[in-house]
Amino acid sequence: MARSKEELLEVLKQAVIDYDEDTVVKASQEFADAGYLALDGIMDGLAHGMQIVGDLYEKQEYFVPEVLMCADALYKGLDILRPLVPKSAAGSKSQVVIGSIQGDVHDIGKNLVKMMFDVAGWEVYDLGRDVPLENFVKEQMRTDAEVIAMSAMMTTTMLGMKKVIKMVKEKNPNVAIMLGGAPVTKDVAQLFGADGYAESAGNAVAEGIKMIARLREYEAKKK
Amino acid sequence: MAELTPIERVRRTFDREPVDVMPFFTGMGMVLLPPIKQRGWPFPQVHLKADKLAWSGIDSARYGKLDSIVIPYDMCWESEALGNKISLYEDSEDILYPTIPNKNWEEVEQVKITQEDIDTIMQKGRMPLIPEAIKICKKEAPELALGAWQLGPFTQCGQTIELDRVLKAVFKKKDLVGSILDSFTEMICNIVQDLQAAGADFFTLREPGVAADLLSPRTFKEMIAPRMTRILQAWKGNKKCFHICGSTDPICEMMWQCCVDSGTPMISFDIKNTLVESRKKLGDNALIVGNYDVFGLPCREETTPDEARQGIRVNIDGLVDAVWPGCDLWPDIKPDNWFAIENEARTYKAGQPTPALGRL
Repeated sequence: MARSKEELLEVLKQAVIDYDEDTVVKASQEFADAGYLALDGIMDGLAHGMQIVGDLYEKQEYFVPEVLMCADALYKGLDILRPLVPKSAAGSKSQVVIGSIQGDVHDIGKNLVKMMFDVAGWEVYDLGRDVPLENFVKEQMRTDAEVIAMSAMMTTTMLGMKKVIKMVKEKNPNVAIMLGGAPVTKDVAQLFGADGYAESAGNAVAEGIKMIARLREYEAKKK
Repeated sequence: MAELTPIERVRRTFDREPVDVMPFFTGMGMVLLPPIKQRGWPFPQVHLKADKLAWSGIDSARYGKLDSIVIPYDMCWESEALGNKISLYEDSEDILYPTIPNKNWEEVEQVKITQEDIDTIMQKGRMPLIPEAIKICKKEAPELALGAWQLGPFTQCGQTIELDRVLKAVFKKKDLVGSILDSFTEMICNIVQDLQAAGADFFTLREPGVAADLLSPRTFKEMIAPRMTRILQAWKGNKKCFHICGSTDPICEMMWQCCVDSGTPMISFDIKNTLVESRKKLGDNALIVGNYDVFGLPCREETTPDEARQGIRVNIDGLVDAVWPGCDLWPDIKPDNWFAIENEARTYKAGQPTPALGRL
């Protein structure tokens, strides 16, 4: 007998927390086969699990290795469920250009933020790491993305963000720019003219999870 | 009161002997833009030749009135020596440190560090430039202390293999990661010994990839600490320091244990450490340094010289035994701020001993 939706959501949630990819795959497929709404599986199962992972990280019960493994598990489920979400149910397809700034080869935090956008159903244009400054501008213009998200893990590379913001805003002042990474503070983000920020690789996880939590609340209110 | 030379001051600091004024030095990157601009050298060029490496260090130390020279500056040397390609950003208008944008080994199973690699690492890539540059510095600037440094094995792993793979393998392939860390540890010990033989006066072991914002304290205790102790032991004598960037409050006592076990008198933290608490935990025998903001105080456009001075007062009130930055200095300093920092370091609470260091 097929498990109930609530049971499977609980399984999905816990499997993400336990970084149990096999169980995520099995439960996601079962969820899909049972005909339950894929978006519910993503938001109330997988994303809910990742929200708890974020809490565990904040409490220093989980650290970056655990978070990465949980993210891998989440992606296994996303690979199965995301294609089943009807375009209309997914909400408007917002777009984000994301990358680590030139000179910076760290991308863990950036990849976790990217995951948040993936979960939310955004179209993500990932430029990778060590991205020349002008490429952020070019990609935004090519895609007409509403948001640019830039990451720097070192003070030495953070300064390039200010130049990108200036270049982008000159061409398109309506683009929202989010900054993240260890040396980026709220003050720095404001100083550079950004529209939002996530404090560090660790806090990017928490911020990303908080955004997922806000998305879950938003989706719940829509129902 | 006799005034000490910078090298005397640094040596006495490590020996915990009284000094004349607050030591103002570092064991991490300290290249400054004003002096290399005076030489007409673009930043990417200083990493490629021994004489430029040496003279950029000497000029930076003298210009900045630092008690030490520290070379080299970028963190790619060993990874490059193991076959990875560095990016120098020669076309960039900005100051960008060399990086390894793409690593040859994507998965931990691909890692092959041979005994030949370990034994001959100093002959590979740019590595021979380091002892050559050390010798130039010792000859041309004997009054300054010459600091050598190495990244620890975990951070070195992250320079050579994709970091997210390493982090996950800490859980999933613990034995394999342990074996790779052992190879790096042995390699680093060889490098340390060669740098000491070349004439470096002190050594800093830097392991920024293992603080509690990345790895659990348990992982630090089991996987990292024993290897730290081993590397610190490779440097003969007591002129050495152990530094970790990031969230070090939960691991500072374990870090200090590595110091105690290896005869390392000095421990260094970055701005995330709660210095006053660390002092309470480690006691007055520990030479504690670090913790001042290397961008915010000397470089940030909005920071005034008075604010920079205040930052150093906070650092000294935090009970450091030397004014030493929390990380590599950012080269593009504002001279007014920098000299305010140096002056404040030497004059604030002048004559007063610090917890581990007396005054002449």
